[in-house]
Amino acid sequence: MAADVTSKSATLIGAVAAAMALTALPLLVNAYIVSFVFALLIAFVIAQSWDWVNGLMGYLNLGHYAFYGIGGYAFALLLLQGTPLVPSFAAAVFFAALAAAVLSLPIFRLKGDYFAFATLTIVPLCELLASNLSGLTKGSEGVTLPPNYVLIPAYYIASALALATFATTLYLMRSRFGYAMRAIRNDEQVAEVSGIRLFPVKVITLALSAAFAGLAGAVQAWQFSFIDPYTMFNIGIALVPIASALLGGSGLLFGPLVGVVLLASLQQVLLVKLNMLQGAIYGLVIVLIGRFLPGGLLRWRAVADSAAFGSLSRESHFETPALQGGSRGDALPLRVEKIDRARVVLECRAATMAFGGNVAVREVSITIRQGEIVGLVGPNGSGKTTLFNLISGAYRPKSGKIFVDGFEISNFRADEIAGLGIGRTYQIPRPFGELTVRECIAVGRTFGRARASLFDAMQSAEVFARFVGLENRLETRADLLSLQEKKVLELARALACEPRLLLVDEVASGLSTVEVRKFVEHIREIRDRYGVTIIWVEHIFSALSQVVDRLVVLDGGSVIADAPLAEAMRDEKVLKTYLGHAPLEAK
Amino acid sequence: MSRAFMSIDILVQVVLSGLLLGGIYALVAFGLSLVYGVANILNIAHGTFLAISGVVASLIYGATGWHPLLIIPALVVPVFIFGYLFHAALLRPLASRGKHEETIGTVLITTGALIMLSDVAGVVAGTKQRNIPVRSEILEFGDIFVSVTQLWILAGIVALTIALHLYLKHAWFGRAVRAVTQDPLGAAICGVNASSARALTFAAGSGLVAVAGVLYAVVYPVDPYMGFSLTVRAFTIIIIGGIGNLAGTMVAGVMLGVAESLTAFYWAPKWAPVISVVLLLVILVVFPRGFGSWRRT
Repeated sequence: MAADVTSKSATLIGAVAAAMALTALPLLVNAYIVSFVFALLIAFVIAQSWDWVNGLMGYLNLGHYAFYGIGGYAFALLLLQGTPLVPSFAAAVFFAALAAAVLSLPIFRLKGDYFAFATLTIVPLCELLASNLSGLTKGSEGVTLPPNYVLIPAYYIASALALATFATTLYLMRSRFGYAMRAIRNDEQVAEVSGIRLFPVKVITLALSAAFAGLAGAVQAWQFSFIDPYTMFNIGIALVPIASALLGGSGLLFGPLVGVVLLASLQQVLLVKLNMLQGAIYGLVIVLIGRFLPGGLLRWRAVADSAAFGSLSRESHFETPALQGGSRGDALPLRVEKIDRARVVLECRAATMAFGGNVAVREVSITIRQGEIVGLVGPNGSGKTTLFNLISGAYRPKSGKIFVDGFEISNFRADEIAGLGIGRTYQIPRPFGELTVRECIAVGRTFGRARASLFDAMQSAEVFARFVGLENRLETRADLLSLQEKKVLELARALACEPRLLLVDEVASGLSTVEVRKFVEHIREIRDRYGVTIIWVEHIFSALSQVVDRLVVLDGGSVIADAPLAEAMRDEKVLKTYLGHAPLEAK
Repeated sequence: MSRAFMSIDILVQVVLSGLLLGGIYALVAFGLSLVYGVANILNIAHGTFLAISGVVASLIYGATGWHPLLIIPALVVPVFIFGYLFHAALLRPLASRGKHEETIGTVLITTGALIMLSDVAGVVAGTKQRNIPVRSEILEFGDIFVSVTQLWILAGIVALTIALHLYLKHAWFGRAVRAVTQDPLGAAICGVNASSARALTFAAGSGLVAVAGVLYAVVYPVDPYMGFSLTVRAFTIIIIGGIGNLAGTMVAGVMLGVAESLTAFYWAPKWAPVISVVLLLVILVVFPRGFGSWRRT
């Protein structure tokens, strides 16, 4: 078997070797090659820092190059005014990150294509500002720095910056923060319900990526000693680092690096061999990448399946040590709640939710006490899932109030509510598709109420997986699971958040009779053994009736019955709207 | 400020030229609106299609001296075919991939096309600005001067808009296209071949941009590298006017054209291009799902 080139020790050896090679290079080769490697390093920093936002967090930021330009301008203008070198570099970092932070307030309101549209316009906007605000930026003439031969020092700064960029990537891929980014990329709503506070993650990521790009711009400006709006904010060049990262494989540890080396080498060859049409061939290559390899070269099957390079296409870089013997028991590592039947866990007071004129939940008032298993039933469209969305914070109630443990949570964000210990599953499973089963569960474990370290979360994920019968699928990507497996993964993820109140939304439908029986046992065990209070929405009434203490029946958004199981089943309104009567002849 | 600078005549003159500019912008935006609304493609090279069409049109004019009305059909047919093939060969296969890969693939392909087309045109035709110098009579209304050509162009744009509107509203293919815009799956269930509707729409959008390219070259200079700023304007316009909404696109295009003319004249020409970008950002931020979402509620 080929050695894993992405293991921790291999990475360390690789990093030291790369650092030594970069250090020795200027002593061995001529200035032409040094300047080529310098350009390569700068391109890598831009492409890789862009990929933190796209590859890890899933936001297609087409305006990343603007941060490079802002850094270059901040540096050059300050240096020109006599500011020393180091503060000028620091200013480049500061202004690029500041621009990103200010921009993220409005820009992260947008999703998908609109985010791409809006960011795309930032580069031409900066170009216009740089050429128009000539008092500040010297306009389209550009800024000329005092001529100085600084290739070698600039090269060393760029080398250090590139190594730092790679190290940051590695850190992000193995850290809790990085998993927050990847959860956001996969499903923002579920990420929030799992306890991730979204906005800070987005701002920090964008600002971080801008800071690196800004410094790259400054180093470039210093080395070249001239910048103008056209070179710093050229839309034709702006998309090239992005294309490089995508060529290699966005979101992969070595993706941007491989892409940058290939594209930059191609460009160099074209410059030497051709005296025209370089741009056309370059464009053609980008077109072909988009057509045939939108997942990137490293995700290409021939690469992924090869013995030598297969590990380069690995998505996950967290190495989880095997569980220690002591924790191998089948007990879930949850804090056991002592059940106090008098304690009110959840109270909805006249909670109402409307979409336009359609009132989905109408003045629902229910009280859930600790240790109860409450069945929530009603015809399709009666407001069951909407009520779950209100409780878990996906929606805010139009009127009425919701209390958890006596605290009002009506205006809390979903992640705050998750932190209070409210977990939920989704009727249509929404796993983080590109993460493995282990990682999906670990995200819940580390960001939910448990707040476990990533290390512990990855380890204990195994116990949760075993609980729901996924122990053989731990390292499988969640989107490759069957529907049934995805459904139980929902339960495992929600449980891993360590809820005190669990909202279960139709997990049993689609399961076989045996699986349903097992699932009912799970629900009972979760309550009896760990003291978790449960609200269960389910249409398979036979399953529900085996375990619930109480039934809440919704119809048209209103509660029409709220009584112990036996009583509710005899209720005339419930029979009429939901359960139905046995045909008279049969009696 | 001098009296002439503030006079109503000059204001009218500036607004008139803005109207013309806006009309052409609207034509560019129609194509993008169709392409984005129906084929769901973020075509970053859209404005470049116009730039190249304009350059080719001016080359044809220089070589043959044909009337622009003759150049339009001569250009629209090949561009239509080019658009169809471009979509069929490069963009359509992306539909079988995941959502994220599809978006990324589209960005790469259209960006690559932008770089490629500009460069080829730059090498073949040179990077200098060119136009179609049609001679034209000037009508005088008091102190206001209007060229007859410009009036014809305006009338042509209005006629084209109405024809397009009627076609989308009443013709079978137009209805199919609107159905695909609103719900591709539903349209497919009702027997619309969504994939071919998309390819034809992409081709039609490209054809429209070729028309706009010829008209643009009659009034303003074109060069192979000017495309991207037009794409940005077209995005702004369709987001203000509503994707797939022709009337809204027309109004938004004219508004942008007039705003740019006024800015260029009363402030400075260099600030005119800033308007569309700032407008786009502000609108997206205030109405994150586009202007249409605001109108519906």
